[in-house]
Amino acid sequence: MIDRVMDNRELDRFDWQFLAVTAAILVLGVLSIYSVTYAQTGTGLPLYIKQVLWILVGCAAFVAMLAVDYHKIARWSYVLYGLILLLLAVVLMAGKTSRGAQRWIPIGPFAFQPSEFAKLVLILVLATYYAHAPREGWIQRVVLPGLLMMPGLLLILKQPDLGSGLSFLAIYAVLLLVVGMRSKAMGILLLFAVMLFPFAWELLWGALHDYQRERIMTFLDPAYDTGGKGYHALQSRIAIGSGELLGKGLHGGTQSQLKFLPEGHTDFVFAVFAEEWGFLGTLLVLALFLGLLMLSLEIAVKAKDVLGALLAAGIVGMLGFCLMVNIGMTAGLLPIVGIPLPLMSYGGSAVVTTMAALGLLLNIKRRRLTLFY
Amino acid sequence: MTPTDPYRWRRIAAGVALMAGFAGVLFRLFTLQVLQAAELTEKADRQHRMSVMVEGGRGGIYDRQGKVLALNMEVPSVYGIPASLENPAGVARDLARVLHVRADEIERKLKREQKFVWIARKLDPEQGRSLERLSLEGIGTRMEGRRFYPKGPLLAHVLGFAGMDGQGLEGIERRYESYLRGETQKVILQRDALGRTVFPKGLNEQGPAPGHSLTLTIDEVIQYIAEKELDEAVTNARAKGGVVLVMEPRTGAVLAMAVSPKFDPNSMNGLTPDRWRNRALTDAYEPGSTMKVITAAAALEEKVMGPGTLINGENGQFSAAGRNIHDHEKLGWMTFAQMVQKSSNIGAAKTGMALGEERLYRYLKAFGFGERTEVDLPGEAAGLVRDAKDWGRQSLASVAFGQEIGVTPMQLLNAVSAIANGGWLMKPYVVSEIRDGKGTVVAQAGPQIRRRVISAETAQALTAILEGVVTHGTGAKAALAGFRVAGKTGTAQKIDPQTGRYSPTLFVASFVGYLPAEDPRLAILVVVDEPRTEQWGGTIAAPVFRRVAEQALPYLGVSSKSPIKLARADGRDEVERTGAEVRLVQVALAGDPS
Repeated sequence: MIDRVMDNRELDRFDWQFLAVTAAILVLGVLSIYSVTYAQTGTGLPLYIKQVLWILVGCAAFVAMLAVDYHKIARWSYVLYGLILLLLAVVLMAGKTSRGAQRWIPIGPFAFQPSEFAKLVLILVLATYYAHAPREGWIQRVVLPGLLMMPGLLLILKQPDLGSGLSFLAIYAVLLLVVGMRSKAMGILLLFAVMLFPFAWELLWGALHDYQRERIMTFLDPAYDTGGKGYHALQSRIAIGSGELLGKGLHGGTQSQLKFLPEGHTDFVFAVFAEEWGFLGTLLVLALFLGLLMLSLEIAVKAKDVLGALLAAGIVGMLGFCLMVNIGMTAGLLPIVGIPLPLMSYGGSAVVTTMAALGLLLNIKRRRLTLFY
Repeated sequence: MTPTDPYRWRRIAAGVALMAGFAGVLFRLFTLQVLQAAELTEKADRQHRMSVMVEGGRGGIYDRQGKVLALNMEVPSVYGIPASLENPAGVARDLARVLHVRADEIERKLKREQKFVWIARKLDPEQGRSLERLSLEGIGTRMEGRRFYPKGPLLAHVLGFAGMDGQGLEGIERRYESYLRGETQKVILQRDALGRTVFPKGLNEQGPAPGHSLTLTIDEVIQYIAEKELDEAVTNARAKGGVVLVMEPRTGAVLAMAVSPKFDPNSMNGLTPDRWRNRALTDAYEPGSTMKVITAAAALEEKVMGPGTLINGENGQFSAAGRNIHDHEKLGWMTFAQMVQKSSNIGAAKTGMALGEERLYRYLKAFGFGERTEVDLPGEAAGLVRDAKDWGRQSLASVAFGQEIGVTPMQLLNAVSAIANGGWLMKPYVVSEIRDGKGTVVAQAGPQIRRRVISAETAQALTAILEGVVTHGTGAKAALAGFRVAGKTGTAQKIDPQTGRYSPTLFVASFVGYLPAEDPRLAILVVVDEPRTEQWGGTIAAPVFRRVAEQALPYLGVSSKSPIKLARADGRDEVERTGAEVRLVQVALAGDPS
């Protein structure tokens, strides 16, 4: 446990697969952003160029998270969490307001969204906590980590940012289930439940009246669907469905090109992609995401220590949750909450966070072999 | 705890969890993109596809010299996108200042739950420029074709006007609608979520063809002269209204058609159909003495009378079939010619009786009374000529001097033109040429003979008599220096709508004639309705005739000294003289607009 050495062998087949899948998803995302925004005339850089720049920043984050031993990173997690809380407070006081929510800190032409980074930091904090905390007692297992999460969650909900808030809860739930259960089997089963959470939600949510949902939604997130009354959801379904089997081709997506589909480059990028690439395209993208998650899960399962396993589980939970909720909402299975599609939606903070998380995952995988051998 | 066992089932369980989640999403996507694909594609098409009828510009209308009388102008229309307005009240205030409309009205439009609202259509170009300077968010302008009549009220009754959507509603605009209207083409447009349309590329090259343009027989200058003189006469006589018609007797081409009071087709607001009706065609009136020309023509042609035949004027008092007929001048024995020149009712009644009902009726019909002249304008009335069988005991005498008969100004002038041109009843026409958008002539109209009504000799003899009307009869004020003028005055009592009898105070004063008498170039009818200063055609209408002729003849290059040239109405309908008669070379009318 003392002498942790980086696995210096060349990248193996697993690593290549992991990188290739990630890169493929990123490329498809940039293509979709390009397609939906290329015709926009605005000042400054085109959005797809900005996204490429963010991906480059994300690569740096990826390498950084891979290079430094994750145990060292974890040592800084409380500091990082404090920093994030500070930033979240700054956002509330001096952040940029857009569509009714105050989420961004502008830095030059870019805007920086601390709530995205907060997700990864939360994983770090909770994993670090659980790795060192005593495993007994529900206060230690449930209440204390809950209290730890609470300031971040409240600051995020205050913005308001329902999507990030829900992601927070999902991360907390995943880690709680993984460590808190007497049997690890139970934890895995509950991870299963989290993956199926969208469908369970649909059942509960479906039992409510429209106006009840609307009230809840506008209460939780006034930024979404202002006056639209299901407009987003309908347009998204139409865009996806009218893509049919083969899609309308790059730039051919009428619903997204003609702006019937709002937020085409951010939260609804999947609908843009589905419209232009068709069912075959969505099969491809789902296969890529499935591949990425399976590889990540393998890392979690094979992690050499508790910290690594918890970190990996948290990351898998975060990615899986965002993926399912985003596609679920664009496909009309879930109510619309602002959760971006990992690696594909436009948004620098989200891309950098996700890539950093993936870097951390690979970090965990590459260091597992050094122990006890 | 062996190193592999616990991990194995965890891996399987987690894999299954992932698979299950993905399977659910995949099933949903399969439902949308494959099972419901057709339905959702249709929904998408409904949103962004819009088929609109695109129309080529409406054709122009030009006078015989090619001067523009009606054209299409691209003018701005202003619309709003309510969703993109942050401050509808402020925007409405700004717009109201430019548009001169109440701000709260605009504000109400801007607050509608619509994606797109028209705020005002077909504005002045200047207003459009002001709006662009304002450059308000969520407010845009779009060019639309508006009908514009650059000469204002000039020829308005003939031109008619077109509605907001460019459809011809009256006059030539209506009659030639199928030609003037641009080609319509169905175009599938893409529409974006703001309701903005995205036109497919290359629309302009393959766009719909513009409408045909029309060239009229009307001459803008003569029309202006006619309108000016009519207006002056109507104003001076404090009359209700009037008509001045100018025709080319040889061809039937209408050179001017002035109707008073006039209107401006550019601003139709608040006008009633009464105002824009073309009274030269739509209203029949009792012509009075001008009708004696026709009676005389019939008597001469039938040789019932000769110019020198003596008629007893009965000293201004004569009773025929129980009706007392008066002359305004007490006359004793007079020649037939003098009867016409002095406008003796008694003489005309006797002439009518000499002809008999059957023959007089036959000539009335032959001269085109009681039927439409078929001039190419809408709304023409047939007038009223009762069948001879239905005539009462007094009818023969009455009809002979222009009572108990309803004629339109167009009918009367066309009939007199037949005398002027040597006996041919022509079909009057207003449009001489139709050209398509590229300027290629697609149809031409020329003189069309309807029939011969009287012989050339009769026409010549009657012309000599009618010259006497101006030289030493009731029409002295129609005389103009250097030209021989043939004509006839008319002073008709109107029937008082209250009593149903002839009114002692309401008259129609008229003069119809043609000149130069030896080779008539112009036939002119002046009708002044209900003049208040005087009632006589000789004093109210004859001077108008003179003034119009006086100005029109030099303009047309007809001088008293120069020999009369062959008439060339518009460079195509040629008229050749062969002997005493006029032979009309008819140019085929390709594609009659009716």
